[in-house]
Amino acid sequence: MSRLAALAKPQTGYSYAFMDAFAKRELRRRMLKAVAIPGYQVPYASRELPIARGWGTGGLQATLSLVGPETVLKVIDQGADDSVNAANLRRFITRMSGCQTTTDALQATIIQSRHRIPEEILREGQILVLQVPDPEPLRAVQSDSSACHHMHADADYGQMWLVLYEQLVRYKRYIQGASYPSLVNGRYLISPSPIPRWDTPKLHRAAHLTILSAGREKRIYAVPPYTDVRPLEFSDIPFQVEDQRTWADERTGARYKFMNELPQADGTARYELSDTGYAEKLIAKQRGQAVTIGRTYYDDEGNFYHDGYLKPPVIPEQGG
Amino acid sequence: MTAISSPLSYLNRVDEPRLIGAAPLLRVQGLCKRYGRIQAVQDVSLDVYSGEIVGIVGESGSGKSSVLRLLNLEELPDEGRYTLALPTAIGLDGVNLFSLDRFTRREVQTQHIGIVYQNPHLGLRMGHTSSGNVAERLLISGERSFHALRAAAREALAASDFPLDRMDDPPRKLSGGMQQRVQLAKAIALRPRLLLLDEPTTGLDVSVQALVLDTLKRLQRERRLAIIIVSHDLGVIRALADRVLVMRQGRVIEQGLTDQVLDDPQDAYTQQLVHAKL
Amino acid sequence: MYVAARGGEEAIQRSEALYHALKGPITPQLIQGIMESLPYLVDRVMGEASLYAPELAALAIAQSGGDLYEAVLLLRAYRSTQPRLGYAHPLTTERLFTVRRISASFKDIPGGQILGPSLDYSHRILNLNLLGDQQPAVSEEAPLPERPASPHYPLVADWQRQQGMLAPTPTHEASAPQDIPDVTRDNVLFPAPRAHRLQALARADTGGVLALGYASMRGYGLIHPTVNELRLAYAEVRMTHPLTGEDFSVGRVRVSQAEVVSNGGQHAPLLTLGYAATLGWNEVKLIAAATLDMEMSQPNPHPAHTEEFVMYHTEAIESSGFCIHFKLPHYVTFASSLDNLRKVISTFYSADSQPATAPAPQETAP
Repeated sequence: MSRLAALAKPQTGYSYAFMDAFAKRELRRRMLKAVAIPGYQVPYASRELPIARGWGTGGLQATLSLVGPETVLKVIDQGADDSVNAANLRRFITRMSGCQTTTDALQATIIQSRHRIPEEILREGQILVLQVPDPEPLRAVQSDSSACHHMHADADYGQMWLVLYEQLVRYKRYIQGASYPSLVNGRYLISPSPIPRWDTPKLHRAAHLTILSAGREKRIYAVPPYTDVRPLEFSDIPFQVEDQRTWADERTGARYKFMNELPQADGTARYELSDTGYAEKLIAKQRGQAVTIGRTYYDDEGNFYHDGYLKPPVIPEQGG
Repeated sequence: MTAISSPLSYLNRVDEPRLIGAAPLLRVQGLCKRYGRIQAVQDVSLDVYSGEIVGIVGESGSGKSSVLRLLNLEELPDEGRYTLALPTAIGLDGVNLFSLDRFTRREVQTQHIGIVYQNPHLGLRMGHTSSGNVAERLLISGERSFHALRAAAREALAASDFPLDRMDDPPRKLSGGMQQRVQLAKAIALRPRLLLLDEPTTGLDVSVQALVLDTLKRLQRERRLAIIIVSHDLGVIRALADRVLVMRQGRVIEQGLTDQVLDDPQDAYTQQLVHAKL
Repeated sequence: MYVAARGGEEAIQRSEALYHALKGPITPQLIQGIMESLPYLVDRVMGEASLYAPELAALAIAQSGGDLYEAVLLLRAYRSTQPRLGYAHPLTTERLFTVRRISASFKDIPGGQILGPSLDYSHRILNLNLLGDQQPAVSEEAPLPERPASPHYPLVADWQRQQGMLAPTPTHEASAPQDIPDVTRDNVLFPAPRAHRLQALARADTGGVLALGYASMRGYGLIHPTVNELRLAYAEVRMTHPLTGEDFSVGRVRVSQAEVVSNGGQHAPLLTLGYAATLGWNEVKLIAAATLDMEMSQPNPHPAHTEEFVMYHTEAIESSGFCIHFKLPHYVTFASSLDNLRKVISTFYSADSQPATAPAPQETAP
């Protein structure tokens, strides 16, 4: 039996950055459209990649169509550069593109992230690619995607507001955890991907470009630089980020950054910075090494860099 | 169709000056709707004035509920014009509401038309709080203050004689009468001029029914609502409606003042209907 | 600091090595063996991967140690790197080289019932004699018929249409092959073009399609299917040579096709048809898929039988990938929910565990 391989041209391996030029072109065009209509979910075909669906294939397709030899790439999962999943994606992207890598958010030109935005303020020209499991913020109130499509077209978000109303009535606070639904440019409601509430304000009027890409659900959307992003909140009951006031990183003593809580056998907990790239630099600095630490979104007293964007909590009066 | 001037009995209760013979609030002309082989609505025309209650009666399948769905802009007719005399600022004077785009149509529906269905599942989210059901209308219209929403929901529920200590219970835990009061509060929350009632008291105990009818009458007086009520229960129609339309096979076959039609029906079918109910 | 963090990389490699330690080495003989002795497995993988390449499918099965979702993913990921060089000519059912074609709607049909290869009427008994180191059993070879049957058969549905039992086929312009919507290259919006639907069913997960199709058959559906025609066949793939303009045969592929009918559908009293076809031979998937195709076209189907529900939830790679993604760490999102939980507890329960009625203590902004 003659083998097919003997008849065909020899395999020349994969295209640069894995995906073929047509797929990359499609992705770039969709991203441009996403930038042009902030927060609008642009459908795309979404190719299968050599990692499993749901493991960042959306973010990966965006990164692969943006990456070049000059790229300096940072990949994080839950804030960590060294997590197995982040390492795996980084290994794949560098193998397919020959780009450089870093753990320093300031050095990176592209940051692909699952569930976190770095603590240091990103600057113009940087691209943050967020992996998105479920791009549809309306899914919880409407499972039919065609109906969701209509709701977005009409900016018909009454049901989402109703969810918040119900939370305030029942729990006296908003109880949405991560993926806090947010309004982009006053028009489209997005899921900011499952970043903690701590990170949601960082999207507001950010200097960098954020691309949010869902591979499984085949939707891509963007928060262009300097675009308004507002978490859904009633005018008299402000949105709250996670309260970790009393938590300090055990290695550096840093506070007012997003922390991982590490339960201890004795019932207590220890805390560590979730952003490992930032933690690494703090430690280096404490050891007297020369490192550049950027300004952070939240300062050491916990003040957010856009004055007045976050407000003190208000407990709703119920009345009956 | 000859417009019948509305009865004047309630005019002296109206708190704002009003010209007698002012233009009707609602005007429908030549409404037709066909579902497959069935002509559900055939050439129905209707004028309703502010402060007037118009009843539509007929057996099931006569087209009365179809008319109500069309008036609530839930569906579009095959033919017909539908205008509401809304404040001039809205810019819909003389505009056929059926010709509006989907978005504007939904806005008119939310802001200017209230509806109470026979089946509370059609009108309410049964698992949400009752106050939330009412607040949703205000949320859709852009209210973003939680405390304002609470106040408005409380006000609308109180106006519907709903017990406020239960305002945060979900409708599924409420009795049928209370569910209808939540629907009513939701319907009037944005202070619409037009209220549509689709068999609002059918299935309720007679005593509960009487109380709900009292609430409806009071609201109609206080808010000068135009109400269209669809019912097969002639007792309800007699208690509430100033005027009545009798429908059969999609057509209006008789209309007039309620007492006139019910006490001295002209059409053979109406006679049958009235006698069957006696 | 232009260095990659290396923490996780070694762990990944060790983990992968441990996975492969359970299975033996992959040799060309193994791949050849899989291809030749497990054709139905190879077909299932090729169908779900929507890539007809028996050798690559066998390699994928070997490389994944037989984890079929992994095997399909390997093939799909390979497929997405391949350029599209040309489009084959459309195929008609009559031109298939049909080896099995049965109809449950009629006792006999024009052209006859052709049982062909099937385990349907076999006794499912493990042949324990084949265990151990006895002589390898001689494989049972089907005897050659004296007079070969015709390879080409008409469609049962064509006869029904002639008889006026079926709604006439909607007439529209034939599209050029390259203009047919392609579910692997277009974004899918609902309601989906029919091409997208049939392609999605063709590459759907066998188990997923079966589960939803079975739910319909068991009574959640609106209509009851009858297998009108089920075919296993070889199809000759023909193309026009891009340079010479000559038509030529690229090769033969195994294909299967199913049509189910019901007299209770949207065309009642006429019969309603459901259709599915796929690369490779996979009968159970196609009967379920054709049932779903029919079900999805009904007005107001069961929520689990709407087009969107079926297409999204029978996608082999997306469903399996998302399911296993829950193994990834989620501690940031979990922490975010925990923060709310603690606040709610402190609002509603004071130290003595009594529900608090007074407003919770004032907090300050972070």
